[in-house]
Amino acid sequence: MVTASAIPQMVINMHNHTPCQSPFLPNQAKLRSITPMSQDNYLFEFLLDKPEEFSSCMPGQFVQLWLPGVGESPISVCSGRTDGTLELCVRKAGRVTGALFNLTEGDWVGLRGPYGIGFPIDDYLGKDIVLIAGGLGIAPIRSLWQYLLDRREDFGKIVLIYGMRHSQQLLFRQELKLLLRRSDMRVYIAAEEVIGPDLPTVSWQLGRVTDMIKQAEIDPGFVAAICGPPVMYKYVVEELKQKGLSPSQIWLSIERHMKCAVGKCGHCFVGGTFTCRDGPVFRMDSLRFLPEVIEC
Amino acid sequence: MERTATFKKDQFEQFFCLLKSFGKVFAPVRVSEKSFSFKSIESPSQIAFEALRTILPPKKFFFQQHEPILSYDENGIHEVKPETQQQVIFGVHPCDLAGLGIMDKVYTASPPDPHYIARRQATMLVGLSCMPDKHCFCKSMGTDSPTSDYDLFLTDIGDKYFVQIHSANGLNLIESMPDFFSRPEAQEDQTFKDFWTTRDKAFSSHFESENLPAIMDMEWNSQVWDDLGNRCLSCGNCTPVCPTCYCFDMVDVASLHANRGERVREWDSCQFVGFAKVAGDTNFRPGPVDRLKFWYRHKLHGFEDPHGLPTCVGCGRCTESCPAGIDDIVNVVLRLQGKPSILVTDKKKTQAGGCGTSCGDCQCDTADGDQHA
Repeated sequence: MVTASAIPQMVINMHNHTPCQSPFLPNQAKLRSITPMSQDNYLFEFLLDKPEEFSSCMPGQFVQLWLPGVGESPISVCSGRTDGTLELCVRKAGRVTGALFNLTEGDWVGLRGPYGIGFPIDDYLGKDIVLIAGGLGIAPIRSLWQYLLDRREDFGKIVLIYGMRHSQQLLFRQELKLLLRRSDMRVYIAAEEVIGPDLPTVSWQLGRVTDMIKQAEIDPGFVAAICGPPVMYKYVVEELKQKGLSPSQIWLSIERHMKCAVGKCGHCFVGGTFTCRDGPVFRMDSLRFLPEVIEC
Repeated sequence: MERTATFKKDQFEQFFCLLKSFGKVFAPVRVSEKSFSFKSIESPSQIAFEALRTILPPKKFFFQQHEPILSYDENGIHEVKPETQQQVIFGVHPCDLAGLGIMDKVYTASPPDPHYIARRQATMLVGLSCMPDKHCFCKSMGTDSPTSDYDLFLTDIGDKYFVQIHSANGLNLIESMPDFFSRPEAQEDQTFKDFWTTRDKAFSSHFESENLPAIMDMEWNSQVWDDLGNRCLSCGNCTPVCPTCYCFDMVDVASLHANRGERVREWDSCQFVGFAKVAGDTNFRPGPVDRLKFWYRHKLHGFEDPHGLPTCVGCGRCTESCPAGIDDIVNVVLRLQGKPSILVTDKKKTQAGGCGTSCGDCQCDTADGDQHA
């Protein structure tokens, strides 16, 4: 047969596969508590039906939250400890999250996961770490600081930088107050604008995340973990470069709308990878050759 | 496993009965003057042997357009088991077999998809040889000979069909009627080879695919994407007709009884405006230029993509079905490679009122190669 076979095609033998369970089958979880944190951001705590499936959850990973009859949404895990319960900090932004805000304690939802690759804790061992969060990006960063503080002696200096648009959007106020009192970490909080009747009860400054990075004592030996709105990354990375950090010391959590979370549906496909499977946390230098991830 | 046999064309009725003994038979059927579709058939007279490309590729049998995955009620969440039936898909051309090979790879990759696999395992794939038209470019993509996990492949060698037997299921079927099939004679082997040589020379659309991934990378910011994307209607036609477009959405369909409902998987298209939207209305591909470029890259880039394959098989469906004439992959690749375009010459010259592209619907092929791309 005369054929031009320019690209070899690998053949899959379909009869070698045995029946398997659907990867889309969620576990039931019961809503245990709802804590309002700001106007549109609540912290939801779920009691897990099958805690063992989530016990390996690492900071930066995400779960698929399903509200029957409404839909599914990828949400970052917000708690550093997942022993039977799981916390998700959710902003009321769309259909699924809007419906979540209508639930009450005792209602059940579907949760599947954890998915993706989180922050590389092994690479952080013994190193100085700067955590940078913008807005709701504080949710996965919180799971990271909880994880790090639980194993404080394994890591070097810890610096937390948290910025938001309006002061009233400050999340985890009580927890941050406790963090500010700790002598083994530095916390910088900034808001671009003051709105609302009272100032937050934590010490904060007027400014942007980038201003805080300028202020903070960050040596070229630090590693950085960043999560925030897509527009923030370009400026934060530039500022960190000024501090002497190379792209191989910076990890970013990339935002995409994962619909299947198992590397099939294509919604989070970016450049040559699935964000849900190969991310959402990427090392900066691995993004260099991926078009359209972030502008930097 | 590769064995060969032949049977006479005038005895196709018996071959058809043999296929029916395996399961329900689907084959290309003419549904309008110019279009064909895979449909369930009862007699061989319904088969459109001349069909080159059906409207939808055979992926529709395994990765269904609308498919319940989960259901829920007062008692909790339940997995919906796939309903399968023994079936034969007859008349699948090499490009579509290659397309199914790519779908196989995607849906068997961890975690495997039980719905796709169950349907695929209950199916016998019977391929059929074809002669390329002006839109076919499977030769450029290396998918012009039967690949993937098919069962039988029929090559038209005049008054007989030359059968390649590629699977245990296929062999069992052939062996169940040993007197019907004969071993190919030397002359028939030669006719078979001649057919594929003739077919190889029949391609009018061709490009070199070896450097495609590099070209797609270096031309990421090319003017080509602006030129094409600005003409894109975002209709999403190119994706359902593609044998390898596997993207989907998951939607909830609640019944009127509020406590019950289903979670359904539906085909989705990267050409739709909301495809890459995230919370807060940030859209990572807001314009048609971004979305078209993304689609082209996914189809043609290859190496770096998650399944390690370029996902274009050269069937020409997108070229034929695009109302704006911008999915002319062959000419786009040639333009990216800096080579002259191929003109489709068998149509009337531009008439006033035509769309000015090679859409194939309004008889308005342009004489200008650049615009044509």
